This record gives sequence, C-alpha cells and structure tokens, in this order.
Amino acid sequence: MNSLRNRLKELKQFQEDAVIRIQTLGQFNLWLQNEKVDSKKWGRDKTVQLLQYLISNRQRHALHKEKIMDHLWEDGDDRDFKVALHGVNKVLEPERASRIEPVFVIRQGVSYQLDLEKVWIDVEALEQYIIIGNEAFGEDQAIAKQAYKAAIALYQGVYLPNRVFEDWSSEEREKIQILILGAYVILAEILLNENPLESIRLAQCAIAIDNTWEDAYRLQMQAYIKKGNRPQAIKAYQKCADVLDQEYGIDPLPATKNLLKEIESI
Amino acid sequence: MAKKVDQTASFMVRFNQIIFEEDGESKVQWRGKVSHVQGGEDESFTNFNDAVAFIQERLGDLTLEATKDESPEVQDSLLKKSFSLWKTMAKEGPKVIMETIKDPRKQVANIQDQISYFGEDLKDKVHIDQWRNASRSDFNTIKESISSLAEEIKKLNAKVDAISKPSKTTKTTRTTKKK
Repeated sequence: MNSLRNRLKELKQFQEDAVIRIQTLGQFNLWLQNEKVDSKKWGRDKTVQLLQYLISNRQRHALHKEKIMDHLWEDGDDRDFKVALHGVNKVLEPERASRIEPVFVIRQGVSYQLDLEKVWIDVEALEQYIIIGNEAFGEDQAIAKQAYKAAIALYQGVYLPNRVFEDWSSEEREKIQILILGAYVILAEILLNENPLESIRLAQCAIAIDNTWEDAYRLQMQAYIKKGNRPQAIKAYQKCADVLDQEYGIDPLPATKNLLKEIESI
Repeated sequence: MAKKVDQTASFMVRFNQIIFEEDGESKVQWRGKVSHVQGGEDESFTNFNDAVAFIQERLGDLTLEATKDESPEVQDSLLKKSFSLWKTMAKEGPKVIMETIKDPRKQVANIQDQISYFGEDLKDKVHIDQWRNASRSDFNTIKESISSLAEEIKKLNAKVDAISKPSKTTKTTRTTKKK
C-alpha cells in the first residue's frame, strides 16, 4: 500500500511542479511556469487543435504526421502542419533557440508525441488517480478515497467542450465520461455510512452526466434512508423509473425495486 | 462535390451490460447509447436494431445533403446504393472484422472489392487505406466485444432488411436529445 501512497503523492507533486500544465476538462487552458497563457498567443485555431489532438492521442505514442494531417486538415499540406507545430512549440517553449530540439513535443522522424513525463494534463492525471483508486479499493479505503476525490476534483466538465463535433476528440471524451461516472458512484458507495449527504451529491453528479445510470439512483435512495428522509428516497426511485421508461421503455432492475420495497416497509 | 468534412459521419456507441437475477433466473440486459458526433444528437436503446436505424437515418441524411444539387433520379440512385452499402455493412461488418483479425491484408482487399461493386462515386467516399494503419493490438482490443456482438447482429440482420427506405425529407442535423 505504500507504493500506492507514494504514487498518489508523486502525482500531486507533479501537478505542482510541472512546467506545463494543461486543463482540458470544462475548458481549455494552459499554464507555463504557473502563468496562464493568453489565448491570443496561440494565433491560429489549428495550432490549438494540433496540441489538443496530441493530447487526445497521447497514449498512442509516436503519431505519424500524415495521420495527424488527415484528421485535422481537409486539404492540408506539409506547410500547414509545420506552421501549426511551430505555433505549438512557440507557446510551449517561447525561449527555445531554433537549432535545439523541442522537449515537450517529442519528434521521432515524422512521428510526434507529447512527453507525459514533462507535461501535466488533467485528463491524464484523472485517469492515473482512478487507477490508484481502483487498485486501493477494498484494500485501503483511505487511499481509494483520496484518489477518487483527487480525480473528481479535476473533473471540471466535459472534455474539450468546444470540440464536441470533432470526431478525433470523441474517444477521449467517452473514456473520461465513463471513468468519472465510475469514480462518482464508487466514492458515493464508500461514503454511504460516513457521509450520506456527500453520497447524495456525488450520485447526483453522476446522474447529471448520464441520467440513466441506475446505480446512482440506488445510492441516492440508500443515502436518503440513512438520513431518515423516506419521501426523498421514494422520489429518487420514481425519478429513476421515469427516466428508464422514457429512455429505454424498461423498468428499474429487481435490485432497485427490492430496495423500494424495503423503504416502503419502513 | 461536397467537402470531405461534410462526407463524414462518426458514431459513438456505448453498451452498458447489466447482469441480474430475476425470478431465480440469471438475466442479462444491454443498455446502449448511440451518438452522432458531428450532429451532437444521441439516442438510448436496448434493441440494437434501434441503433442501426439511428445510424442509417444519419447516413441517409448525409447522402441527401451531398447530392442535393443532383437530379432527383441521380439522387435516388445514389441513395439506394448508399442504403445497400450500409445494409451490407450491417450484415457483413462483424464477420469481416473477425476475419480481419485473422488476416488483415486479405480482408482489406476483400472490402475494397465489395466497395468497387457500388461504383466509383461511393468508392471515393470510403477512405479504405486508413484501415491498413490499424495495428494488431487495435484489433485485439476490439476482438472480445466484437465476438459478443457478432451473434446479436446476426439475429438482428433479418430485421435490418425490414427497415423501410429512408424518407427523402431533409432533417435538422443538430437536434437535441429526445426527452
């Protein structure tokens, strides 16, 4: 468990120490040595898009230039790519001399990738926190709690909201949404006895992302009962049943119905 | 000729598997959501046929939009070809993907042959060369989910045939989620 604790500590430290920090959740922002980069410094939108594309594909390693161009440009040529890449490097390393290789965007021949050891990105950190939380869950609830809380704190909204109609960003958006839904529900479950009010809030956050997430309604019902609020628990069930009927034309699961029966018999 | 970006429709399909006990019997339920990336609209489904219909409707809109300046005859002909291509995809897709896992190069050639059948117009719109770049690990990642879907889609295939020809009325591309 010490190794998990250390990983958690290192992640938090990296967030504080990183020269470059990037926010992609809720809105897009970049900090260079703790100073927020003004949006005017990006120049063309394609420069921002190129960096966002590299972030979206950061775990694929060494992205081929042709592949990047094919996704970002309709009829782009080498020059368009070079201009955008130069723009990215200029923002990330404004003082770099032209003969020196960039350190944050690593180039290998005609392939490019972000150096995740040097660039802190909220989505990457969120995923790492959730991995730690999942590994600690059931073994060390204190670490699991800390990790899930850290992940949730990073979730400021949907991934790159101004790119929702771009297909190259969809995969990452979906992945993060599923990860955060899981984190909300698991943390709500961990806190059910200790802090039912917080469980209700967390479950509500999950429902706000996906209103058909039935586990979240069940947790709300349980948490309301812990607080002695039977009417709200029944209301949560009703909301769940209405949404499932509307979206899928189905009833809640037997587990949810049984929970309602238990509540009604109180 | 419409711009390349206008010729692309991307879909994200989420499946949420729920296994539960009811009346002493183990049951499984699939709750899904299909989203059209460029349009922003989505639809929940428990029957995969609904997702197929959702995708088909958007593809029909795409063909209509791209051929709006053509004569009604040409438009109708392209729409029929587009619809046939989609039916082939819905029918053969899972099988092709499984075969591709075994022999990627051979299957890319097979797909190219099938697309040629539908004429040059449609061939131009399918960037099949991109498929060649997928790695073996990419295929392995999807192998498990495709295996489980293959059987389901086989059953639904018969229903796909029954789907009526798409309406020619132009639809708003950015609708909000149904409530």
